[in-house]
Amino acid sequence: MNSDFTVSRREALQKVGFGFGALAASDLMAAMKGDSSSESPLATRDSHFPGKAKRVIHLFMNGGPSQIDTFDPKPSLAKLDGQELPDSIKKTLQRTQRNRAGTVWASPFKFSKHGESGLEISELYPQVAKHADKLCVIRSMQSEIANHSPGLLMMNCGHPTLARPSIGSWVLYGLGTESEDLPGYVVLMPNGMPTAQSRNWTSSFLPGVYQGTHIETNVKKGEMIPHLKRSDIRTGTQRNLVRLTQALNQRHQNFREGDERLNSRIHSMELAFRMQTAATDAFDITKEPEGIRESYGDTPTGRNLLMARRLVERGVRYVQCYHGAGQPWDNHGALLPRIKTLTKESDQPISALLTDLEMRGMLEDTLVIWGGEMGRTSTIQKGPKDVEKYGRDHHVDGFTVWMAGGGVKGGMTYGSTDDFGLGIASDPVHVHDLHATILHLLGFDHKKLTYRFSGRDFRLTDVHGKVVEALLA
Amino acid sequence: MSGTEYFEKHVRPILVKHCYECHSEAEEAQKGGLLLDRESAWLEGGDSGKAVVPGSLEASLLITAVVYEDPDFEMPPKYKLEENEIELLRKWVEMGAPGPAEDMGDTEFSQLGNQEVIFEKAADHWAFQPVDAPSPPEVENKAWNAHPIDRFIFAKLAEKGIAPSPQADARTLTRRVSYALTGLPPRDESVFEKSPDELVDELLASPQYGEHLGRAWLDVARYADTASTYRPDTKTPHYYPYAFTFRDYVIDAFNSDKRFDQFVKEQLAADLIVSEKRAPELAALGFLGVSPHRNKSHDFVDDAIDATTRGFMGMTVACSRCHDHKFEPIPTADYYSFYGVFNSINRPEPWDIDEFPVIDGYDPDEKLIADYKTQNQAIQKKIKDAGASKKKGNNRSVAEAIKQTELAQLLVSHDGAPARAMSVSERGKPENAFIFVRGEPSQKGDRVPRRFLKILDAAQPEFTRANSGRLELAEKIIDSENPLTARVYVNRIWGMLMGDYIVDTPSDFGLQGEAPSHPALLDYLAAEFVKNDWSTKQLVKFVVTSKTFRQSSRTVEASAEVDPQNQLYWRANRKRLRIEELRDSLLALSGQLDLRMHGRSGQLWGDEYSKRRSIYGFVNRFNQDTTLRNFDFPSPMQTESKRTENIVAPQALFLMNSPFVIEQSEALVASLEFDEKLDGPSRISAIYEEVFHREPVANEVKQVERFVEIEEGRNVPPWSLVAQSLFMSNEFLYVD
Repeated sequence: MNSDFTVSRREALQKVGFGFGALAASDLMAAMKGDSSSESPLATRDSHFPGKAKRVIHLFMNGGPSQIDTFDPKPSLAKLDGQELPDSIKKTLQRTQRNRAGTVWASPFKFSKHGESGLEISELYPQVAKHADKLCVIRSMQSEIANHSPGLLMMNCGHPTLARPSIGSWVLYGLGTESEDLPGYVVLMPNGMPTAQSRNWTSSFLPGVYQGTHIETNVKKGEMIPHLKRSDIRTGTQRNLVRLTQALNQRHQNFREGDERLNSRIHSMELAFRMQTAATDAFDITKEPEGIRESYGDTPTGRNLLMARRLVERGVRYVQCYHGAGQPWDNHGALLPRIKTLTKESDQPISALLTDLEMRGMLEDTLVIWGGEMGRTSTIQKGPKDVEKYGRDHHVDGFTVWMAGGGVKGGMTYGSTDDFGLGIASDPVHVHDLHATILHLLGFDHKKLTYRFSGRDFRLTDVHGKVVEALLA
Repeated sequence: MSGTEYFEKHVRPILVKHCYECHSEAEEAQKGGLLLDRESAWLEGGDSGKAVVPGSLEASLLITAVVYEDPDFEMPPKYKLEENEIELLRKWVEMGAPGPAEDMGDTEFSQLGNQEVIFEKAADHWAFQPVDAPSPPEVENKAWNAHPIDRFIFAKLAEKGIAPSPQADARTLTRRVSYALTGLPPRDESVFEKSPDELVDELLASPQYGEHLGRAWLDVARYADTASTYRPDTKTPHYYPYAFTFRDYVIDAFNSDKRFDQFVKEQLAADLIVSEKRAPELAALGFLGVSPHRNKSHDFVDDAIDATTRGFMGMTVACSRCHDHKFEPIPTADYYSFYGVFNSINRPEPWDIDEFPVIDGYDPDEKLIADYKTQNQAIQKKIKDAGASKKKGNNRSVAEAIKQTELAQLLVSHDGAPARAMSVSERGKPENAFIFVRGEPSQKGDRVPRRFLKILDAAQPEFTRANSGRLELAEKIIDSENPLTARVYVNRIWGMLMGDYIVDTPSDFGLQGEAPSHPALLDYLAAEFVKNDWSTKQLVKFVVTSKTFRQSSRTVEASAEVDPQNQLYWRANRKRLRIEELRDSLLALSGQLDLRMHGRSGQLWGDEYSKRRSIYGFVNRFNQDTTLRNFDFPSPMQTESKRTENIVAPQALFLMNSPFVIEQSEALVASLEFDEKLDGPSRISAIYEEVFHREPVANEVKQVERFVEIEEGRNVPPWSLVAQSLFMSNEFLYVD
């Protein structure tokens, strides 16, 4: 059967010869002109201006950690402890919290000053406290709706309800990725999805390549990325299989010049081949020296954070690490035992991560973010009589997020909460402002990082957001 | 001191310091639609009303805001002005609020979102003009002067001095037509013997046509088998156990060539036009019923507005949720007119099964029914036994948990369960909606009647009081005077067949959308479509019988220099297989494709994957399938305008390593039943013929033989790897 693509004259002109063993895959690539990697939607791109941060590790304390017991000391609460809230304060709470608000409960945990900066951190985070001079603590965070799903979506996607792209997707869209053999935006979770699930790392209307790749890390080695390995054939056989295919592709393409997609696909198969080794390697923390592994600790969070470091080291742009499935920091009850466990789980790994990044000279251009989707009230949530069962309710007006590295000032606090720890006393930082600031650190004017969809230019901060200059180093 | 001097000395500094951040052109901000950098703007005011009424402290919202007496209306939002500043503003208003010497007047920025100005612009916008029925131009080329489509295309090409490409060869064309009309490779050798026109008729008549076109519509209808949420305690999605009947309805609509106007009407209002209680058409209401949002909430209504207006008319009405559209002639009142319509419907929980009508057309055998009944009874007993008990440690009802998990899973998977329409119904008394100021349900503005869009229906008569108004809305959408619906639809079909759209923003025909590359052709197609009783099959046939469709896809350098994107269609577009086409093709070539139609959704991959076509695959919104996502399957969270096409490594990993692909490769080779004595070249030919419908060239034979020689004797037989290599290739993935 004749085809307008089987012209034997062209066959004779075929650019790439084919012989097993004679031609390595990389040579095949090199032999192809017009390598289209620059066309790839994931190719690295320049930001609006040089950013100090090149990549982000977002430590997501999902559930809403209590700022009052960790990073926002409130000595003023001592004399209010056990008292009912005055109506004037109570009325500022959101309805659900207002109805459930019990008496004021000062933090039972001791705060002390750390580092040269004298930053105050509670006894729950002794190891993180050693890094006090690196931390840029925002005590006046503000979000919108005091509940998990809207809080998570607000913190991740800039809107509490509507389907919007996540910040990681925006960053990947803006910067591309430096990793040729790993996904550019990775979400690590040790034991199942957080509340709101994949909506937290959705690319929404941005192209699908910018979607976060979520990886359950509590599975057997090699099962983290689907279809990463094939066990029934040797690597050598697979290499030959890929080469056989690429020879077909090469010939196919010779008759179809001018179609860049064909070239891109040849390229992506090479990448896939490399990824089999690279991704296996990146997620394999047993390749780390024992000392490093010990410093992070052989725990779910420890392993996750070590993986995060291995990923950013290999050029992954945005890594988000959830503390656990659902909303582990949601301590409505039994806060004392639970927060001790939660901080114990995260203290050593976070400290190890900061040390490790610093040691490798990566902290200066890696932005580390710690925080949840909201904070917690300074009051007990009505109910229990036994202090061990006391809990704190959701709170969005004055909670804490801290950042380190990546162009932020260390050893500083910004903003403050009022005497009751229930309102913002100075310098509020809305989630939109945090987003604007993060984008700024990465080199973007948040007003100009836009995407046209459904008749308008969308951006992460919608029509809001202001860069908090005071945080910038 | 003159008024102007007073303003410049005392008032402007306050405004600059405290207000301009959000209300000035210099800061590119007009929050709440208010600018305070010009007299004309503060006199006109913003969303909340007039900012300044000269002489009146009470009527001037600027004063109301700065005195901080209304907790819902305080400006600046983060702090109160100093008393002396407030006093200066008061005095200024009392003295008649004199402005600067020169007013900035209207600028492009100040008019952003000014509906009056936008409506004026829209009056000339192409998409809002009535569909003209232009006659195809006469062209000089005789061959291209026969089919109307070719005449439009050729005329444009001639203007640019580009020659159309030669017609594709028969093999290429057969493959192209097969995929375009059915999403499947040519079935067997016999089809190559047929004339292209014969083949087109045969494919249009095959049930696989409806499945293929239906899948494209499901992109628009954001189809899925679950809501986007799940039960946190059991980690199970909120199932939509009857979503599949909507999918089947869509397939049947295309196969029976249902009039498109009727198709629209049924999807919005089948319950209001069908009297038969078990009518299969009731399943059409799944368009509303399979919303991403489980509850009947603001988000449900918002999604219904969005899917309806973008899906059918290419209008971005949902953008007007919080304020008048900034760029389109869509006042926020229009959004709330539609809000009233979709909020006046009733949407029961899926496990309140009696709320969903059983429909005809599904006849499971007795055994299946009996088995379902037994299982159902057991579950019903558990529900009854649970009574009003709550789960230990939380507040969730045990009975409800059983309904949402065990019962829902049974309904979603058991073919013996009655098939029901995923319907919605009237709520009783319809209600007009209040405008939510800035989209806040707590801030109610005016009530607006349920009625159609102002730009398409200037008089905006109210819909009936008798029901939600869905039927009237549908009638307005398909009205012959509506300039959008037919245009939007023919553009979708054209894009699907041709691999590129006449209007490149298929769900946005507004002022912000792209202009059509061939406006006259678009109008011609739309007019013909309506004239031909809104017949999709005739439209499809009309397109694929044109020379335009049948051109070669090869690049011609001279033409590419003038029109690199092929916007003028001087060649055919090479199309990548969609993930459904890829999966179906693998099954078809391995001889395993199960062509049974309809029924409950199955798993696309995994241990017990379904071998039916991909349209019958379970779409889970709450945990979207990674492989689908990697291959650009749309997120069913909102109506899809057109699919993106990305090339990423995980796609290649799937073809290299997934058990699914490996199994199809093995099955293909097994189905060829090679005789032991059959030599290499003959085997190679057989595999090539099967997958590519062509003979391998000498060089290819040599390469494969070499591969087989090296790999022979290892644990995986080399021939299935050879077949897999073809499946991994570009020749397989792209349709010329």
